[in-house]
Amino acid sequence: MPDIEALKAEAKRILSEGMVDMVIGFKAGDTPLHPQPAFFKTADEVDHLVYNALCQNNLATYLTRFPKTQKIGMLVRGCENRSVNALVFEGQHPREGLYLIGIPCEGIIDWRKIVAQTGEELYSVTEQSDNTILVESKSGFFTLEKNTLLHESCARCIHPNPVSADIVIGELLPEGDPALAREKVAAFTDLPIEERYAWFRQESERCIRCYACREACPMCYCEECFVDHISPRWTESGTTPAGMQGWHIVRAFHQTGRCTSCGACERACPMDIKMTYLTEKLNDDMRRKYNFEVGMDTTTPPPFSTVTLDDKSRFVV
Amino acid sequence: MSETPKIVLFQCKWCLFSPADQDWVDHQLPENIHLVKMPCTGRINPLYLLNAVQGGADGVMVSGCLPEQCHFKTGNIAARRQLEEFSDYLNHIGYEKERIRFLWLDLQDRGIIQKELAAFEAQLTALGPAQNLATRVTETVGGANA
Repeated sequence: MPDIEALKAEAKRILSEGMVDMVIGFKAGDTPLHPQPAFFKTADEVDHLVYNALCQNNLATYLTRFPKTQKIGMLVRGCENRSVNALVFEGQHPREGLYLIGIPCEGIIDWRKIVAQTGEELYSVTEQSDNTILVESKSGFFTLEKNTLLHESCARCIHPNPVSADIVIGELLPEGDPALAREKVAAFTDLPIEERYAWFRQESERCIRCYACREACPMCYCEECFVDHISPRWTESGTTPAGMQGWHIVRAFHQTGRCTSCGACERACPMDIKMTYLTEKLNDDMRRKYNFEVGMDTTTPPPFSTVTLDDKSRFVV
Repeated sequence: MSETPKIVLFQCKWCLFSPADQDWVDHQLPENIHLVKMPCTGRINPLYLLNAVQGGADGVMVSGCLPEQCHFKTGNIAARRQLEEFSDYLNHIGYEKERIRFLWLDLQDRGIIQKELAAFEAQLTALGPAQNLATRVTETVGGANA
């Protein structure tokens, strides 16, 4: 865990020195399980800054919601840093207008896993130094192992450290193993086709089309989403099977070569629909076929926005 | 379920250099093949494929020019990256990969497209009608054609 006082001191410093107009971070939310994104504009406000393993949003989402002229400071973990890089590549904000305070991330806790063990009425959640979490709930105190509570995307995270932050606060962590992510994809691919389709139907057809996944995703910043388009209507926009399946298929496909596997879509879903089995597959393909890892720098174009004639040997049989 | 498979053919309008072949595609296609003529395979959005698949197509064929013969230099390669990945991806969630076929035509080719369509149709007949992902409801309830 990074030292919260050091984070506050750095945020206060860049605000008071006028390096940034605003710092995007977290503040305490309505319940201890949900710290919420916060936008600090003065050094005094930074006293409310909170950072813990329950901060589940990907803050890079908010980058595209402010003018490009605004100087933004932001707390970034590994996935957020890569999302920011991908957004900078796509011209959504100049890198010079950003000050990234990097945090090596030990993983985000899936709050549903806590609630499953303790019930919903929680008074406080405290991280302890021995990698456990002390939860005070209506029915008493619980000590839970942090490693068993990690969100699935975080359990197989490859890049926990910020890759291009201006300052890193906290000790750097060892890099993750890409084989973990691949195993997960391979296990799903090995299933018979009917089981894969049954799983896809079961997951996608619970969708209520609230588009929380879209709002949570840093890379979903289109002015008009394809599902909102009226004429021509690209896909059914109701909760019909074709509409729900079409949304899940195309939402994930639009992230090909852009998704940083942060899992914010899954964490935002009110129906607890699994989505990363789609984006992980696409990410894995990008790694295998094009040796491309999203957001490691701000200059490498994603595979779908570039072409080379080398492809012809692969395509023509 | 009809016995003859329904095929949607996305055809790049430059890929059939021979007037006889182009005339055959324009006017004499069998009834089970639906032609969507595109200015280039690069214009094919994966959503078009998905629309065909969801609308109940048993197979989708994309015909375009060879890599270095694209009328727009690189449209076909750019398309191919996306469409190949998209067909992989549809296979991942339960649409057989054999139902999406890509055809690359040399400008010198004559009479290839008829043979390829016949072979594709035979393959689809063996596979049987597509059931997965064909979830589009009829026009009266809404949907893409409403």
